[in-house]
Amino acid sequence: MTDKRVEEKVALPTEESRNQSRRAFLKGTAAVAGGVLFTKAASADYDPKKAVAPYAGKKEITEPLKDGPWRHRLGFGVRRYPYGQPTPEVSYIQRRTLEWLTPDSMASITMTPLQYLHGIITPNGLHFERFHGGAPSIKAKDHRLVIHGLVERPLIFTVDDLKRFPSISRIHFIECPANGAMEWKGVQLNSVQWTHGMMSCVEYTGVRLSDLLKEAGIKLDKARWIIPEGADASGMSRSIPLEIAMDDCYVAYAQNGEPLRREQGYPIRLVVPGCEANMWVKYLRRIKVSDVPLQHREETSKYTELMPDGTAQRFSWYMEPNSVITYPSPDFKMQGPGRYVVRGLAWSGRGKVAHVDVSFDGGRNWHEAHFTSPVLDKAWTRFEIEWDWDGSEAFLMSRVTDETGYVQPTMPEMRAVEGTNNVYHRTAMVTWRVHAWNSKNKGLVENVQY
Amino acid sequence: MFSTKKSLIAVAVAATMAAGSALAMSSSSGGKATEAAAGKTDGKWASNYREIIKESGGKYLDREVMEKILGKDVNSLRAKLDPNNPYSFEVDDAIDGGPHGNSQCKVPLAFTEVRDSAEKHEKADYVAYGYGKPIAESAIKPWEIDVNGDGDGFPILPDDKYMTVEKGGNVYVQFCGMCHGEFGEGAKGYLPLAVDEDLVTSDFRDPAPMKTIGNYWPYATTIFDYVRRAMPFWSPNSPAIGDAGYYGITAYLIQANGIPLDDNGRELDDEDKATPQVVMAANKYMKNQGNFFCDHRPITHNKRCMKDCPDYLVGDGAGDIHHYREARKLPDGTLQYNVNQRLHETPPGIGHKGF
Ligand code: HEC
Repeated sequence: MTDKRVEEKVALPTEESRNQSRRAFLKGTAAVAGGVLFTKAASADYDPKKAVAPYAGKKEITEPLKDGPWRHRLGFGVRRYPYGQPTPEVSYIQRRTLEWLTPDSMASITMTPLQYLHGIITPNGLHFERFHGGAPSIKAKDHRLVIHGLVERPLIFTVDDLKRFPSISRIHFIECPANGAMEWKGVQLNSVQWTHGMMSCVEYTGVRLSDLLKEAGIKLDKARWIIPEGADASGMSRSIPLEIAMDDCYVAYAQNGEPLRREQGYPIRLVVPGCEANMWVKYLRRIKVSDVPLQHREETSKYTELMPDGTAQRFSWYMEPNSVITYPSPDFKMQGPGRYVVRGLAWSGRGKVAHVDVSFDGGRNWHEAHFTSPVLDKAWTRFEIEWDWDGSEAFLMSRVTDETGYVQPTMPEMRAVEGTNNVYHRTAMVTWRVHAWNSKNKGLVENVQY
Repeated sequence: MFSTKKSLIAVAVAATMAAGSALAMSSSSGGKATEAAAGKTDGKWASNYREIIKESGGKYLDREVMEKILGKDVNSLRAKLDPNNPYSFEVDDAIDGGPHGNSQCKVPLAFTEVRDSAEKHEKADYVAYGYGKPIAESAIKPWEIDVNGDGDGFPILPDDKYMTVEKGGNVYVQFCGMCHGEFGEGAKGYLPLAVDEDLVTSDFRDPAPMKTIGNYWPYATTIFDYVRRAMPFWSPNSPAIGDAGYYGITAYLIQANGIPLDDNGRELDDEDKATPQVVMAANKYMKNQGNFFCDHRPITHNKRCMKDCPDYLVGDGAGDIHHYREARKLPDGTLQYNVNQRLHETPPGIGHKGF
């Protein structure tokens, strides 16, 4: 056991990912004794005096510590909150919207405060929401799901019926294809919540769509599309090709262990991992199996991408790999030169994240970050990299490569092909400019665009 | 006037390729070019693409893998528009019914993971659990509100129930005009429905063009389908309007957008009846129908560069990292975003309004 731990200690810093900053920090000290295992050599790297060196010269606190009043008084009782609430101190961690984005608050969007989140799970109350006709309050007992069209036996299900089927639970990100849309023509917002907050990542539980379609006897020789439809005022609908439907879609009734929230489709919604959130039809009440697509407004007028020459891309189902540095980001200010643990999120609609690289110099040189969360299919992946900031101006970017080998492009590249009238799928890298510590804006982090 | 989808796309592709190949060229001049793929001859993709993808561990969007399958010019979308190309989202015209049919797209063959997994789930034996209840198609009818691009699903009314286009216009003004404008010009910030803006802008900073029914929508069937299912916004699928009323509104919007009904450019008269036939006639002459193409991504095929990356990947795309775009300024000269927000002096969400 002990030996194994020593081995890990040695192996970790040899990773390309951490070399850069580590080496800079350890400059002048003995190099890591990589490869020398099962000896005392590993611990020779650790020198307690050296470890505390950065504290040298810092003023020591001498005032004795005091108790807070909570040390001498009882807290609140266990029955006060049958459904737990976030502590009031963090009430600023909220979904927020930009008033000017949409003319009507019933067809609108709120965004997830990514800058304040940790790990890869979005709490249910902070899951972004996008409505096209308000969020209905449907009771599960009144809700039905119909499957019909090119099937042997049209069927109708209650929500309880659905819960009887074998279930699956998966963690997936869900992203509005308009995430980042406000940044096509240049930056106009200065928070990760605005630039990337039209997405969340939660654990969904539900029934495989392929099971439900086969339950009704889907006629695979003729079926090419499924047309899911919502029970809400918008009657949301999209056309989903059969390959995607049979691959990994499911009908979810739970989100992070509890029933879906109304904002996310209670009592049931479609989960279309890796694809445009608009396809994840909420309040799902009907699935028609068809040989042709619907050409619904949401796949013609909207969710199609206008190119600079006036043509438009349609049926752009997959969310491309993307990444963002959530700290430091425009939501935070640098605290002075020194070591920073740069962290962020990466995700890909086509599978797992393979690498995340971070640049501090606007894209000339890159350093591989390491993952601090599980690396799951079509889910957020957390990355971190250590950075010794010398206080000079820096341009931070993150770049994801996914398991299909796709490398996230730069904004100039994306603009060259797609123009700026596109609205959707702006998945190029963003850049955070860190103002020099000795400049007027002292360590301000600013969203800039190349 | 109505060029076919394919010819228009060819133009689009040429334009896109110009941009794409510029990048490709700078990429190969920056580093060592990959050797020409074996088994790949000009204009043809490697038929053993499955094996190539498998050998690469499933990296079907890796530049080198794509080069092995598509040849050096992986940025060429021309090849991708061939439905047989493994990277193409397109399907054959024969399937989608030609340039004005109900156009289809597909998951590309090269997305082997998706296709294999779908096939596995399709083939797996399944015996029903029996937890649902059988239901007659006739019982589903009231919920079957979809009208697809082929016109399947239109409600058929007795002949005397269809109203004139003029009457349809009155229904529109009564139920829709306050939000979308009497002539579809938009109101109170709500979307316009009939604005004939050019879809091409000269400067990338210009506001994006308004996309409305006449200048953008590829199908007229979508007007009926969408308006009946989702409008008027506060009381959708309104019995007060009814199917005849929704045909009336649809026809009025076809007229307001100047959509022709035949090769001679005949447009709807006020006295014409608003019928499903009218919608289907207009469906053939939607101005922009031929300008849509299936997903053409990935648009870039970069290699993962780690050190001293070539200029086209750095900063402004010419190697200058200080040449970034300032935030847009408002008329009063302040930045478009709220600067204090960054310093936590005002909470996020208090952005500038009204642009
Ligand atoms: C209260 C204002 C309001 C009224 C009244 C209203 N709409 Fe709308 N309409 C909206 C909103 C809001 C949207 C966008 C909905 C969304 O975001 O999904 C919209 C979207 C549309 C669209 C899609 C536009 C596009 O480019 O995609 C059409 C078409 C439309 N409405 C037609 C109508 C018709 C026809 C009526 C009358 C029957 C009507 N609307 C009544 C507010 C209204």
